[in-house]
Amino acid sequence: MTLLDVKSLSVRFSGLTALDDVSFTLEEGNVRAVIGPNGAGKSTLFNAISGYVTPTSGTVHLHGHELTQLTPHEIAERGIRRTFQNGGLFPALTVLENVLTGLHAQTHGSFLDILLGRSKALKSEAENIHRARELLKLMSMEHMADTRAGDLSGGQQRIVEIVRTVASDPPVLLLDEPAVGLSPEARAQMMEIIHRLAGEKGVGILLIEHAVELVMAAADRILVMAAGARIAEGTPEEIREDRAVLEAYLGHS
Amino acid sequence: MLMQLTLGGLSQGMIYALIALSLTVVYRSTTVVNFGHGDFVMAGAFLSYVLVVLAGVAFLPAAALAMIAMFVLGVMFNRGLIRPILGGPHIGLALMCIAAGYVLRGLARMVWGREVLPMPPVFDMDPIFVGELVITGDAVFIIGTVLVLLLLFFGLMAMTDLGKMVQAVYQSPRGARLIGLNVDRFNDFSWGIGAALGALGGILVAPVSLLHPDLGASFLIKGFAAMTLGGFGSLGGAVLGGVLLGLAEQYAGAYIDSALIEITAYVVIVAVLFIRPQGLFGRKAVVKV
Amino acid sequence: MSQTMPTATQRRLRTYAFWAVPVLLLLLPLATNPYTQFIANGMLISVLVTLGFTLTIGNLGQLAFANTAFFGIGAYASAILAAKLGVPWLLTIPLAGAFGALGGFLASAAALRGIRTYYLAIITLAFGELMRWAYLHAKPVTGGTDGMPMPREALFGISLGDDSLKFYIFLGVTVLLVKATLNLMRSRFGRAVMAVRENEIATASLAIPTARVILVTFMWSGFVVGCAGALFARHVGHVFPESFGMLHLIASFAMVLVGGLGSVLGAVLGAVLLTALPEYLRAFPGMEELFFGLIVAGVLVAMPMGLASLLRRLSPVFVERFYREAP
Ligand SMILES: Nc1ncnc2c1ncn2[C@@H]1O[C@H](COP(=O)(O)OP(=O)(O)OP(=O)(O)O)[C@@H](O)[C@H]1O
Ligand SMILES: [Mg+2]
Repeated sequence: MTLLDVKSLSVRFSGLTALDDVSFTLEEGNVRAVIGPNGAGKSTLFNAISGYVTPTSGTVHLHGHELTQLTPHEIAERGIRRTFQNGGLFPALTVLENVLTGLHAQTHGSFLDILLGRSKALKSEAENIHRARELLKLMSMEHMADTRAGDLSGGQQRIVEIVRTVASDPPVLLLDEPAVGLSPEARAQMMEIIHRLAGEKGVGILLIEHAVELVMAAADRILVMAAGARIAEGTPEEIREDRAVLEAYLGHS
Repeated sequence: MLMQLTLGGLSQGMIYALIALSLTVVYRSTTVVNFGHGDFVMAGAFLSYVLVVLAGVAFLPAAALAMIAMFVLGVMFNRGLIRPILGGPHIGLALMCIAAGYVLRGLARMVWGREVLPMPPVFDMDPIFVGELVITGDAVFIIGTVLVLLLLFFGLMAMTDLGKMVQAVYQSPRGARLIGLNVDRFNDFSWGIGAALGALGGILVAPVSLLHPDLGASFLIKGFAAMTLGGFGSLGGAVLGGVLLGLAEQYAGAYIDSALIEITAYVVIVAVLFIRPQGLFGRKAVVKV
Repeated sequence: MSQTMPTATQRRLRTYAFWAVPVLLLLLPLATNPYTQFIANGMLISVLVTLGFTLTIGNLGQLAFANTAFFGIGAYASAILAAKLGVPWLLTIPLAGAFGALGGFLASAAALRGIRTYYLAIITLAFGELMRWAYLHAKPVTGGTDGMPMPREALFGISLGDDSLKFYIFLGVTVLLVKATLNLMRSRFGRAVMAVRENEIATASLAIPTARVILVTFMWSGFVVGCAGALFARHVGHVFPESFGMLHLIASFAMVLVGGLGSVLGAVLGAVLLTALPEYLRAFPGMEELFFGLIVAGVLVAMPMGLASLLRRLSPVFVERFYREAP
């Protein structure tokens, strides 16, 4: 089933075309890698899909519903969650609190319920805490629940960010260089997590990643970008053979 | 009438320009907005009062001494209290400046209590009459002093390496450090100059106004308004903003309602920030995801 | 560093303590003289002002100095409603809170326009001074420099001039608002507030409506401080424009900082400690300014996290952000 349908998406920043007429789809349970040299427009593609920049033209549909004019939190509520290239954890909050923020929209109780400490709000909160702990357990991080996120190692931070992002069971996940700066073991763990999310939960994943070996192993399909435009698209095998890619991108590494 | 208002506005505006300029000098070095600057202005006025009235020093040497003292205070404040928390959150820096201001204010009040002090006029020159226009000695003195100072300031910036240094540190303190600038010393110097110029504002208004320990608060707001109008971080903008604010106050007070003089600055702040937050010459902040 | 969370026993202990404090305080008027009772009443007002302030500058992390404005708005709203419209003072408390919340709405409008950090500080400072100008110049409504006297009123046959009676009312209002704020800060809302402070962009990616979080935080802060304004009007019996100037602002800063930015317990501690001390300094001109200035500078250098963090290190009983898990 097609989750995400991106059609002719373009973004221009006063003179610079950061994203140039990019189209693709993302299927349930698929991992689609987005690769390309620095400044190719990969993060801009994510920002346009998740509402952080307004596309100059083109559309984004999730489950056939248009998202293009929505704000970031509205898009997140519709089911597209993302991580950030530079890390988006809240350093002063504990690991558990970070994961709980990912469940914000899943928590019940109005402002008044909260103020008055009504059981409706308290019960929903308790349920979510339980859920957050379970999620941390899956990643063997439950013993870190009360640690300040800012005190974690880089690899742990990336994992907590992913736990937080998937806590609400979103159908679509956008991961912007989740493995950057990680040790080889941590990278392998990260790819394993991504694989499991797609395989077991059917999440559709867009993955920006520079390490080509990882991408070839993890992705079902690959989108190659350069200077804002799509220069190739296909399965890892097809991309490996593609001349344009070899020249524009793989030739560099 | 218009001419008279313009002259009054100019002489007020020159003071605001001086205060906004001194705030900007500090802001451009450490990107700290000195919320205690009004009290530096007040301290300048009080120091000159002490020297002139209590110690019998002549006005000009007294002014020079007061400015030197404030320079030293500015350097010490930066070294002792700002630098240790410079990497920290804005809130801490803003509060530190406010705290320093309150200490100065408390000291002034300990000595003078709740009295209001008049300073003897400095330039007892007979006013000059040009047609309807009355030009007082104080106006000539204030406008003249600030003009000379501004020429000196911008002249130095343009003709020496100082201007380049200011630009380099503002663009990137780390970059400036890499090319061998002693940024810490530069910051000390900027705080010193900022404090001394602010104090000069106080010294210049001292002879034409009543002195009290709270006089800084309104100058702080005027300085902010001028800075905001000219564009945060722009030196020339600060000066122009100050002059425009001085004129706007006089015109609004005369043609609309005299009660408006007090709030022109607040209205300017609110209006500029809502309509054109970068002011006349500021650079627009860009938030990148 | 891992934060040790309070055990179940410690939590229960704390719940008892939370209610034991106000219950014990009911006895306080038996032990005070009129002067110390007056100071105790002032402390309760400071607790609310500090609480509202710490929410916006500590939890939400916004450099907004509008709290003195909220306080003045609340006090004048209460005085005007009581004196000009004959509304019973008790009823003016929530109404003053509502006007304070309106002030919070205006301040958040600036923040939501992207006016942040120093710009927000300056514009909210201007907001406070504009309000003061309005109190001075809207003479028919506010009494101008003469201020607004509170009308005489009685409750259960006891005059509202009675400081013990006031104490009970103030205590009730303070306990309610502190409890409600604690509920708020321990909820998903409280987490969202801190998330906005830590990383506003990432917060939005978690389906958290950041603009609404900012708006509601400012409005709740305004509500709490507005209610405090109504108490203050009755406390001093006569509302003057000067009460809402810069000295009030620095005193609030000092209370927030001494207690610890963003801590409810800290707000209470800071307010109680710093309301009493300066009372004795008031006789000496300049000492109050000097005192608050030195306190703020000293705390910033030596103890930037405030008393609450010291206590937390002493015992997990003082950890505020614990979770209410299923039993
Ligand atoms: N908000 C913005 N305003 C102006 N220009 C921008 C903005 N965001 C990105 N750009 C520009 O758009 C181009 C594409 O940037 P983008 O971050 O999408 O690249 P990328 O493929 O993610 O690169 P990297 O691999 O380095 O992360 C760059 O030239 C960048 O400078
Ligand atoms: Mg990128």
